[in-house]
Amino acid sequence: MGASIDVRDLARAAAAGDQHGWDGLVERFGGLVWSTVRAHGLGPGDGADAAQTTWLLLAEQLERLEDQHERLGVWLAATARRESLRLLGAARVAAAAAPPPSPEPPAGAAGAPGREALLWRVIRELPEHCRRLLRVLLTAPPPSHEEVSAALDLPVTGIAAARDACLQDFRHRMVNIGIRTELEDS
Amino acid sequence: MSPDTNETPDLLGPGDEALLRELRAAARRFDPPPDSVLEAARGSLTWRTIDAELAALEFDSAVDQATTAVRGGEGPRLLTFAAPGLNIEVEVSPIGPRRQLVGQLVPAQPARIDVRHAGGVTTVRADQLGRFDADAISAGPVSLRCHLGDAPSSVPVVTEWIPL
Repeated sequence: MGASIDVRDLARAAAAGDQHGWDGLVERFGGLVWSTVRAHGLGPGDGADAAQTTWLLLAEQLERLEDQHERLGVWLAATARRESLRLLGAARVAAAAAPPPSPEPPAGAAGAPGREALLWRVIRELPEHCRRLLRVLLTAPPPSHEEVSAALDLPVTGIAAARDACLQDFRHRMVNIGIRTELEDS
Repeated sequence: MSPDTNETPDLLGPGDEALLRELRAAARRFDPPPDSVLEAARGSLTWRTIDAELAALEFDSAVDQATTAVRGGEGPRLLTFAAPGLNIEVEVSPIGPRRQLVGQLVPAQPARIDVRHAGGVTTVRADQLGRFDADAISAGPVSLRCHLGDAPSSVPVVTEWIPL
């Protein structure tokens, strides 16, 4: 509840040109926009373009979006998704003759030691639909189901079940490589 | 900012919650939004144009013809933006890391056009026939701001941003 009022206040201030209000929106939703473009497989360069285009579109349209100020995360996630698909489409046409570039260059974790690195590697080995879903769900701060739905064009009602199935798959893979997760601990 | 401010309409087991927390920490460590991306996001507000007419992207050959023009990669990318009473058609050709724009205002009319891009603002003029071109536009998000006719007071028309 508190969150949507905060966002509405930030949006109203930003629409009036207030930089602090705008910075607050970036702080709140910067992670969501980024994880949405990454979930679509964009690398750092195209991902940065898609993310910035999303924010520029918001800056230009914020005044007109007044009725959506409390659902700004949904608007941003949907826009980041659309811009990701546009960049993927443009890249496909530009590289029609050449083989497509590998979608997502390995992000960190490659040689990093430790449990977190292992968890991240197992996430990256999940089937694509789980990798995408978890990439958005793992945004900080945690997104609402409506935001996840907009980011991935999934029905809101199916997200909890899909998440549970993906976490189940994740646990199986962890058990297979001999790593315990909290389920067994608790 | 509290991490639990979002509604969670379903019940998550305590084990799942702990696991998600741990995975979220891994995501934050291995694929956080880059500082440069957040910096650019914070800087986006300064690009807004107050009291402008917005021209929406109506056609983008890279997306709308992506399935039919699979042999593409040849020829310029075509964009059409539409505002009430004005269409802006643009051909985009990549020249290395730069973009060359050749455009047409419909209906034809003179205008001053600010091409806004990562390298700054490049101002060009559309002639009496509504034709304009701009060179050395930086790759990345681009938007055109058109001041129509000769009246300095007229409301500018601003296109949606699009990465080129």
